[in-house]
Formats: sequence, structure tokens, C-alpha cells
Amino acid sequence: MAPSAIDRKRKSVPAEHNETLETDIESEAEFGDGLLEGILSQSESEDSDEESNAEEESDEEEPELDALEALDSDEIPSEDSGSESEEPIGGLVKSNGTKTAVVALREKPLPDEEEEKPNYTVTTDANGGERYVYEEIDPVYDSDDSDAPITTNTIGDIPLSFYDSYPHIGYDINGKKIMRPAKGEALDALLDSIDIPKGWTGLTDPATGKPLNLSQDELEILRRIQTNEMPEEGYDPYPATVEYFTGIEEIMPLSAAPEPKRRFLPSKHEAKRVMKIVRAIREGRIMPYRPPGERQEEEEETHYDIWQDEVPRPDHIMNIPAPKIAPPGYDLSYNPPPEYLPTKAEKQAWETADPEDREKEYLPTSYGSLRKVPGYEKFINERFERSLDLYLAPRVRKNRLNIDPASLLPKLPRPEELKPFPTVCSTLFRGHEGRVRSLAIDPSGVWLASGGDDGTVRVWELLTGKQIWSAKIGDDEGVNVVRWRPGRDAVILSAAAGEDVYLLVPPIVDPETDAASRELLDKGFGHATNATQALTANGARKEPVAKWARPGSRLEDEGVLIKITLRTTVKVISWHRRGDFFSTVSPTAQKSAVAIHTLSKHLTQIPFRRLPGIAQTVQFHPSRPLFFVATQRTIRSYDLQKQELVKIIQPGARWISSFDIHPGGDNLIVGSYDRRLLWHDLDLSTRPYKTMRFHQKAIRAVKYHKGGFPLFADASDDGSLQIFHGKVVSDMMENAQIVPVKVLKGHRVKSNLGVLDIDWHPREPWCVSAGADGTCRLWC
Amino acid sequence: MGRIKKKGTAGQAKNFITRTQAVRKLQISLPDFRKLCIWKGIYPREPRSKKKASKSSSASTTFYYTKDIQYLLHEPLLQKFREQKTLEKKISKALGRGDAHDASRLERNASRPEKTGRTKYTLDHVIRERYPTFIDALRDLDDCLSMLFLFANLPSTDTVPAKMIARCERLCLEFEHYLIVSNSLRKSFLSIKGIYYQATIQGQDILWLVPYRFNQRVTGDVDFRIMGTFVEFYQTLLGFVNFRLYTSVGLVYPPKFDKVRDDQGAELGAFSLEGNGVGAIEQPKQITNGENSKPDPKLQAEIDKLMSQLNQPEKEAEQEPQTSQTLAEGDEEEQPTDTIDKFEPAAPGGDILLQPSYSATDPSTLFSNFTFFLSRETPRQPLEFILKAFGCKRIGWDAVLGDGAYTHNELDPSITHQVVDRPPIQVDPEAAEQIEDNQTAQKLAPGSRVPGRIYVQPQWIWDSVNDEELKRPDLYGPGAQLPPHLSPFVKKVRGQYDPSAPLNEQDREDEELEADSDMEEDISGEDDMAVQQPKLLTAMEVDATAEGMDIAGSEDDESEEADVVNNEDDDFGGFSEAEDEDEDETADSALQRQRELEAELTGVALEDKVANPKADAKKKAAKRAKEEDEELERAKMMMSRKKRKILEKMVYSNKKKDGEAEALRAKRRKIEKSGKGAPRA
Repeated sequence: MAPSAIDRKRKSVPAEHNETLETDIESEAEFGDGLLEGILSQSESEDSDEESNAEEESDEEEPELDALEALDSDEIPSEDSGSESEEPIGGLVKSNGTKTAVVALREKPLPDEEEEKPNYTVTTDANGGERYVYEEIDPVYDSDDSDAPITTNTIGDIPLSFYDSYPHIGYDINGKKIMRPAKGEALDALLDSIDIPKGWTGLTDPATGKPLNLSQDELEILRRIQTNEMPEEGYDPYPATVEYFTGIEEIMPLSAAPEPKRRFLPSKHEAKRVMKIVRAIREGRIMPYRPPGERQEEEEETHYDIWQDEVPRPDHIMNIPAPKIAPPGYDLSYNPPPEYLPTKAEKQAWETADPEDREKEYLPTSYGSLRKVPGYEKFINERFERSLDLYLAPRVRKNRLNIDPASLLPKLPRPEELKPFPTVCSTLFRGHEGRVRSLAIDPSGVWLASGGDDGTVRVWELLTGKQIWSAKIGDDEGVNVVRWRPGRDAVILSAAAGEDVYLLVPPIVDPETDAASRELLDKGFGHATNATQALTANGARKEPVAKWARPGSRLEDEGVLIKITLRTTVKVISWHRRGDFFSTVSPTAQKSAVAIHTLSKHLTQIPFRRLPGIAQTVQFHPSRPLFFVATQRTIRSYDLQKQELVKIIQPGARWISSFDIHPGGDNLIVGSYDRRLLWHDLDLSTRPYKTMRFHQKAIRAVKYHKGGFPLFADASDDGSLQIFHGKVVSDMMENAQIVPVKVLKGHRVKSNLGVLDIDWHPREPWCVSAGADGTCRLWC
Repeated sequence: MGRIKKKGTAGQAKNFITRTQAVRKLQISLPDFRKLCIWKGIYPREPRSKKKASKSSSASTTFYYTKDIQYLLHEPLLQKFREQKTLEKKISKALGRGDAHDASRLERNASRPEKTGRTKYTLDHVIRERYPTFIDALRDLDDCLSMLFLFANLPSTDTVPAKMIARCERLCLEFEHYLIVSNSLRKSFLSIKGIYYQATIQGQDILWLVPYRFNQRVTGDVDFRIMGTFVEFYQTLLGFVNFRLYTSVGLVYPPKFDKVRDDQGAELGAFSLEGNGVGAIEQPKQITNGENSKPDPKLQAEIDKLMSQLNQPEKEAEQEPQTSQTLAEGDEEEQPTDTIDKFEPAAPGGDILLQPSYSATDPSTLFSNFTFFLSRETPRQPLEFILKAFGCKRIGWDAVLGDGAYTHNELDPSITHQVVDRPPIQVDPEAAEQIEDNQTAQKLAPGSRVPGRIYVQPQWIWDSVNDEELKRPDLYGPGAQLPPHLSPFVKKVRGQYDPSAPLNEQDREDEELEADSDMEEDISGEDDMAVQQPKLLTAMEVDATAEGMDIAGSEDDESEEADVVNNEDDDFGGFSEAEDEDEDETADSALQRQRELEAELTGVALEDKVANPKADAKKKAAKRAKEEDEELERAKMMMSRKKRKILEKMVYSNKKKDGEAEALRAKRRKIEKSGKGAPRA
């Protein structure tokens, strides 16, 4: 209820303030009349309005008045009711009443009063008999609505303090000011304080500023509630029941169904259940009654030998027993050896580290004496963690290798036992501007030919590093590859720059050999012209795949004798062992990537119409008529006589850079741009026998030693060469033994290129390398 | 062609089941599942391939072995859980109806283990299932004992009922009584966490940790429901184990418990053991689960011993039998015959054979002739337990430490040892006399001692127990700086640091050398430290250093040169070869020749080449190390990637261990040099 809530709020104000309030209210109550007088003189309507107001006030203020007085005070409303015009106003005022409860409660007694006072007048009717003329019932709006709050507040929901500076509080329905209830003077206050009227609460209605007192009826209700009676008078909580169904048999029953059997036969089901219980009681399975105290007593757990008839049972194969907690070490001691105590730095590091990052969860401490050892703070936590581990941590069986790591290492022969192999750089060949793309040692092992990005081909004396001869063959393109023709009868150097392949006879040898070489080269000119040219479909002469010609007088003087022009850039030259054929690879060409040239006939053939992938490099088999072509991913070997594919070797590398065939012919090494060096045993499988990944960068070139030493080497972009001992045993059952023996470092890495080409001396265990830094090096 | 195999019907996909699936299959709540897992010892597994095991695409969770869960389906406890659940439902329904009587009737049936510490179910069958033999149970007793000893020392809260604590305490004390009677306690260790004990029962080593008697700090992140579930199981387990142990030594279980004495703080003394009239049951043979389950403890012990022998020099191996203690002695103890012939090597060089050996002292007699008195400040419970377990029959203590003492009188003449843990108080003699005059029979003046008795600190007992011999009490006198207390559980491994062995025995060959040179660099300015050096070095080395100091400058230059040469070599060759040495040698000889020439010029006879042997050794060591490195690198190149990874891991961990040991040695060297280390026993 709203008022009670407000009451409570009010009560919470300090007591002092309450007292001043009290006095105010008292004076107000008393001065209701005085105020009335003042107003009466003003106007008629206002007067009546105020009067009714005053009445109400007086009602509220003097609840103690006995019944007689109440009657007196009620005279005025009855008079009011007589004047019809004023009635609604009074009603309205009532409906605007200050407090719902107060008003509602106050309204209750009204009917009682009306009971005492007849609401009719007795007149004589026309017959002279008595006639009761009843008063007209006034159907005031919500006249019997006791729930709706009837408020007399006309100021709305604003604080009363807004009217502090005015003599009035709000306006009535006619726009007249409702005057502020008067405040009493000190003497009146004193008088009032002597006898506190009944129903006085000491509160002021915050909405109207009027004192809030309880009426007689309200007090009565409170008393009833206090004495645990029904608050409402005359309420009968236990009325006599009016039976809906009676035991009296009706003469005409509602249903004519015969009485069911179950009404007069005992239930079989119940009998069953009862018998079950009875049986259980008889057998002692349940006790009919057991005192609750007994229950607590009997529960002393019994122990017996649970392993009396133990049978060993092998553990389940999937069972993984929980690991035991590691036993404590020396550093966990309360008085550890001093070397276990952390230094200041270690201590600080431990303290600043996150608890998860700490290697140990404790800090070794020396307490010196047992009495100084404190309790361990994390004891419960550690035990809790352990129990979590026991049931929550996934277990997995891990095999711990308890072996000496040295036993894992393969037993390799010592490098000293595998000597000789190149170890140091003995000669440096300087002279090329820009990268040295390719180099080769001539079959006699005396000279070194090199070609580089500056377009020159140079011939050096191998042992001294002196440049003997040089020729510039590529005008704007670098020399991609130089290769000597095998065989000691003639000294012919082949070099490729751009689309052109040049055959040179450097003037470094004795005149006889020189002449023989020149003759060998010139021999084919007749064949070239005689060769029948293939015809295309429409009968026109097909353009030859290569043009064999003289390179021009300037070059001819320098020793360049033949120029073969192909369609695209030549990257690789590979000679057949007899020196009559050589093959070139121009990877960018589509169909004519691989070409085989016959020196004696000046003839160029394209053996493959189509190749799966881009051709990288080619090799002739050292003893048999086989031809190996490396594309990006695979190496194919073809039989040249039968003209068929023999084998496809799959090294598994992403991009093959180069490969070489062992002089024995059964093994192959492959270098790839994805840093792998792969050894293939051709008899064994098409897959590599060994894969070696020791370079940080791509491998550019690989080469076997062809002169009897079991060596091979690779050159990589990381500027290093690696020399391996790779012994191929003639016994078929035994695999090749590969041992890395030496890493040769010396070439500088320039714009991500290190060593570009490599070649072995034909007889000695020496090798030469061509570097991107413009030098060649001889290692021996 | 065979039938197409359906996916997920065989192999890992079938063998493993996620936790959610398991819970759903069992139709129980997660807490119940947790309980079941704890009691039945079911744990998650790590499948070999998580991808194959998980059927869902989400990166998964924990996996259980499907068979485990299937066995759980027939678990009687599951039925109990369900019954409990329905009962709870009935109670809540009754309460909802407002039927208080019915609710209370049902409530009486409900088990409230968190209140009463008692359950409707028993875990007996689970124990029988998990531990088919008694040995299995003993093997798994570590965690059980640690947990129960912790709970015996906890304060009771609403999550840990007092009854549970009391029961834990009783079980623990009963177990301790068995250890005392059977003398099976072997080792103990005072750590910062608590006191570790190790007992050997029927050949099984059981290690557990008992907290110090302080109020345990309980933090919020500990779930006592989980711990409680464990405790419930462990209580049942230890109850049965205790029964078996007691009956095996011919005692009645449970022993009589005197409530009154327990209230007076008697603890161990509150129990009175009595024989069951049958006598000790002979265990004809131990039933184990076969050899495959675990390495035989005896064998393990022998291996350990062999390892320790190998680590020790030959001469120590000869006097081994006195000092070594083996774990295998348990079975021999029962034989009354004492004489075992000892085989001593007549000449060095033969293989060392394992010999059955007795330890010098039987654990049951170590303290049997002594009477101890515990001072007020000493921890009574652990001392009482350990002393009794090692044969001491008469232990007295101060009255404030509780009931159950042999005597409360400190002046009892039969007392031979007194355990004190307080700093010595200097009392001026007059005051002492005064006090002596009016002292009561029970009290003794502070700082004064009773003549004819040995005063030791508590650590003396522990060290004596661990070494199985009585230590020198003067090292452990009141107020003395105690020798370090070492863990008896650390197995000596070759290459690991051993604080009890002298430093020069366990150094790497060149470590001291390095350390010295480091030291030299450190203290090159100070001369006084150079005097201290002879302490550590042998005479020959001292000479060498003395000489070495003179020509250190030139030597350094030379080595630097050599280094430069090496570096150059590195540039073009990864591996070292003979040239290196040659170059060094040539450089050496050139230097020598230069010196000779100079000598000739000045006319002074050149003394023999006093090449600094130490620097030489250092150089040689460096070279050797480098060669080894290269060799290793070469060999690694030829390994498969998998093997290489394994090797690298091993090398890494070995290196870490070696580094730790080395750091410890360096620290110790430093401490010894500064001369402020504590005495070593």
C-alpha cells in the first residue's frame, strides 16, 4: 500500500525532525477552524468547498471523537447532500482524497451511519397510507470503488517544497487556491502535546502537507491484526460446509450403472504387495522398524583379506600404469649442499619468471636447522595437480632410448683413410669479368677452358693459372657452356653463346695436332651440302634445325672454326665418348630442345618430337649406346640403336639441375635446385638409393671423377663444393659406400650465386670450380 | 576383390572414444563419470593418430579406450549412482510437495558421504579388480599414502568432514605401526616440502611424502570433491592393505584404539597391537604379475649397485660390502644364518662379481640400545616414528609434546641421547648455579646439559638412518653448523654431479684445467690467490703453472696465431686435416728456432724448451674437440633425418645435464676456494 510505504519512509527521518513535525501537525489540526473563518468571507462556492475540506480534515484529525461527536460532524455532509448542486463537488473532493487507505477506511463507516439515519422520508400517499419516499441514490463515479486511490492531491507528482513560498498548496477544480493548512502557534502546540489524539501518527502527508492520522476503524483493524483475529469484522473463516455430494441415495440416480466389482472385492494387487512385504519381514529381509540410532552404530567397516585367493593376472596390453612421482633430489633438502643454492641472479630470474615457465616449482633454500623449516605452501596444490594428472592426463607409452648417442652414429671410415681427395685451393684463375659460367679440363689434363658472362672463352694452364689464349665469341651474350671434345687425337673445344655453338681449335698445341683438329672440323662441310633436306607437307624445303657455317674471318683467325646456329639459346653441350657426336640442350625450345650433332657430317638431328617437361640436360652413357635426358622431374634413358625408351628414373627432386653418370655406367648422381643430391643405383631401383641434403642453397652441378678415383663432387649456390667418396663395388650384392669427405669453401657468393660449374681432372684427384665471383679455382 | 571396408569400423577409429561419447554412452553425469574414472583407474589415452581416432573434424579432446568404457557399463557402482540419483529426485519431489515427513524418511536412506564420511556402496570389488595381487596394491601405494597423510593433517571444513580426517589419521598410524613392527622403513629425507619416507615391503619400494605439521594453506583453486573421491578410494585400499600386512606379521587388525589417550595426543601410542595367536603368515612366494610388468626390483637394485661400483674407483670397490646397502636384503633377513662368505679379489683386474651382502647394521638394531629424549622444540611425531622404526624402544619427550612417552623427565638417567634443535644459550655460571639450586626435578636450566648423554640435532637421526650407521654426533651438536643433508634417493649416475664425492674425482679431464685458466684470467692481478692454488692441484701441475705464468704472454700470441691459421683454414675447408697439425708444428718449430737464434745472439744458454705443458694441453684439447666435432658433423650428414633428430635430442639433453653438473661443480670449486663451505660428512 502506498501510504504505508510512505509512512515507513517518513519514519526513517531523524527523531528531532519528527518532533517539530508533530507540533506542526497539532497546530494545523487545531487551526482548521480558524482557517475556515478566514475563507468564508471570500465566496460562496469556495466556502462550501473549503467547508467540506475542513470537514474531512476534522475527520482525520479527531478520530477520537466519540460516536456522538462523529454524528455531529456528519451533519454537515448530510446537509450538503441536501443541496444537490454541491454534492458532486463534495464527491469529487472525496475522490481526490489525500490517501487511498485513509479515505477508503473512512468511507466504510458511512453506510453504518446511514443505517442509523433513515434514508427515506415517510409521507402519506393519496390513500392516506404511509408512503416511503427514498432518497435518490447518487451514483457517484467510483462511489464504491475502494481500491482506486482517491487522492485529494491537486498538485500532482511534484515535491511539496515547490509551494514553500506560497500560502496555498495547489488548486481545486474551480481554479481556486487550496490554502495551506495552518500551522499552529507554540501555545497550541503545547496544548496539543498534552493530549495526543488517538490515531495520531505524527506524519505529514507529503502530497498534501496535511497531518496523517489513523481513523477509528483503521485502529480497530490494527488491533485485530495484532491480536491475530481476522482483520475484517464478521468474517467467518469456518462456514458450515454445504455438501455437494450427500450420502442420501437419490430416488433418481444420475447413473444407472451397476456398482463395480472392485467396490466390494479386496484388491488382488494390493494383496500381492502386502504379501511381498510380509514375506520379506518373515525372512528378515526388511525390519519392520529400526530405531534411527542403530543406523549410525552398525557402520564400522569390515576388513578381510581381499587377496586371499589372489591369482596373478597379466596386465592388459593397453594398460599404462601411472608414472611414479620422481624421488627428491639433493636440491630439495632443507639443508642442501651450498652449491645447490641459487645465486642472486638465479633467484631473481626464478622469481620474475612466470610460474609456468619455471623449471622447478621450488627454490632450493637452506634453513640450517629443522626448527626453522616452514610449512610448504603449495603442498595441497601439488597433490591436487598430481591427482588431476592421475585421472585426467592422457597417457601414452614413450620409449626412452637409454643408449649412448654415439652408437647411433654410422661408422664412417676416417677421411684420412679415404685420401686422396682435393682439400685446398692451389690455383686461382682470375681474368673473367662477371661470372664464370662453365669450365672444363681438356682430356690431356693440361689446360683449363672457361667461359663466362663476358662472352669470352679462355684457356688457362691448369697448374700455373696462366691464361694462354682467349677469344670473344659472344658479342652481347655470355658463354653458357664450354666442353672439350673427348679424345687425344685432336684438341677441339666447343662453346655455346646464345643460340650459337662454336667449335674452336685454340692455338695452344703443336702444329700437327692443330692441323688434325682443323681437318676434323672441316671434313663435314661436304656432307652438309649433300644432305637431303626434309620436305614439309606442302613440298617446300623445310628450314634446317641448325646451320653449320664459318663464323667469319675475325673469329676464324682466332681459332674459331665453326659456328652452328640453332633456334634458341643453348645451355648444355654433352659429347659422346668417341668424339663424333655431341648433343646440345636449349631448354626454352619447344620441340627442338635436344639436338644431336654429328661432327663428321655437319649434321644436326632432333631426336625427340616431344618431351614431357622442359629438358634440362643430357648425357651419353659412358659405354653403352644409351642416351639420358633429364627433364624437370625425371631422367629418361633411351636406347639409341633400338630407338626406344629404356627406363624412367625418378629422383623425386622438384627440379633437376644436373646429373652425371658413373664411369662404370650403373650409378647416377643427380643434383637438384631444391638442394638435394641423389645417388641412383640403376640396377636397384628408379628411386634414389641415397638422398643427401647438405647444402643450404641449390645444387648447380654434379660430377664424378672419371679417372679412377672413387670421388664425386657437387657445386652449390652457397659457395661451397662438397667432395664425396663414393665407392662402387663391382660385387652386385653390395651397395655403394658413400662418405662425405670434404667441404671446399672459397668462392664468394655474388647475387645469390656461388659455384656454377665443376670439373674433375682426368687423372689426378683434383677438381676445378667456376664461381660467380669471376674466378676459377683448382683444388688439389 | 574383397569387400570395401567401411570407414570407422576398425583400428584406431574404433579403439578410442571421446569423453563426451563415453558419458553419453554410460548415461551418467560428468561428476559421476569422474568418480568412476578415479575409482576404476580409467584414464584418457593419447591415440597414435588423433586424426584417425576422432570422427569429428574439430581438433579433438580427450580420448578414452573404448574397451575401458565398455567394461564400465557393467560396473555395479553405476547402478548405485543411478539409485542415488532417483533417490535424490524423490527427495526433491517430496520437498516440492511439502511432504516433510516423506522427505526425511527418504533422506535417511540417502547416503551423504560429505556429511557422514560413509557411503552406501563399498569399493572392495574395485580394489580386487584393480589390484589382482597384493604386490600390485603395494606397487601403487605411493600416491595413496601421500594423499592420506596429507588429509590426516588437514583442518576439517565443510568439504573435508572431520570423520574423513580422523579415519585417514587412523589408517596412517596403523600403517606406521606396521612399519615399526616389521622394521621395513628404509630411508627418510627432510625436504623443504615435507618428509619423504621410503619403505620396502615385500620387495616393493614405497615412497611417500608427509607434510610438516603446519596448518596447510588451502587455496581456492583446489577442488576437494576430486581429492575426496581419491581419498575415499585410498582409504578402502589402505584398510585392506593394512589388514593384510597386520595378519602377515601375526597381529590383529584393526588394533585396539584408545580414544582417551588419543585425545591426550598420544598418536602412535593410542594403538595397542595384539597378536592373533596364529603367528606370522609365511609368504611362500610372492605372486606377481609376471616379469613383463616391471623390472624386478632386486635385479634393479643389483644393477644400481653395479653402476655405483663402476663409478667408484677400484679400491673403494674392495671395501664395498661395508658401506653399500642393497635393497635385496629383505629376503635374506628372514634367514637366521648370518655367515655369508665374502669373495675378495686377490689381485686387481678381475671382473667384479655381485655378492650377496649384508649391510653393516640391521635397521631393526640401529637405535635399539639407546634411550632418546626429545626436546620441546623438536617435531615429535616424525622423530618418534623414525626412531621406533629403527629399533628404538624408549623415547621420552617433554610433556607438552603429548602423551605416550617413555618418560617426561628430562633428567632420567637412562637417557643416552637427547635431540635438541635450539641454539645454545650462553649462561653465566653464577646464574646457572642459582638456577640449579632451586630447580625442580623435571626442569633443567636453559643452556645447561646433563652429563653423560649425547646431544644431537634431529638431522643426526636422519643421516644415520640413511647411511645405516651412526654418524659422528659431534658434527651434529646443538648449534653446530650441520653438514648438508643429502637425499638418499638419488642414484649415482656416471657423469652426474655427486656432492658427497670429492670434487677432483668427478671432474672431466680438462675441466679443472679450464677452470684454472679462467681463474687465472680472473685473478691475474692478484697474487695472493696464486698461493692458494697448490691446494687443489697436484705437485706437477703446480710446477707447470708456476712456469707457465712467466711465458704466458708469448704463448698466448702463439695460440692466437694458431687460431688465425685455423680460421683461415676454416674458410676454405670445413674439416680439419693433417695440414693443421703440420702448420702448428711448423709454427712451433719456427718459434723454437727463433728462440735459439736469439739465445745464440745474446750468448745465454737456452734452457730446455719449457713449452707450457698446460697451454699445450689446452691447445691439444681444443684441437681434439674440434676434430671430434667435425667427425660428428660428417657422421651426422650420413644419418637419416629421423635418426639425426633423435641424436640431436639426445645430445641436447645430455649436454643440458652435463651443463648442470658442471655449473654445480664450478660453484662448489668456488665455495671451496673461498673456504667457507660447510663441513662434509
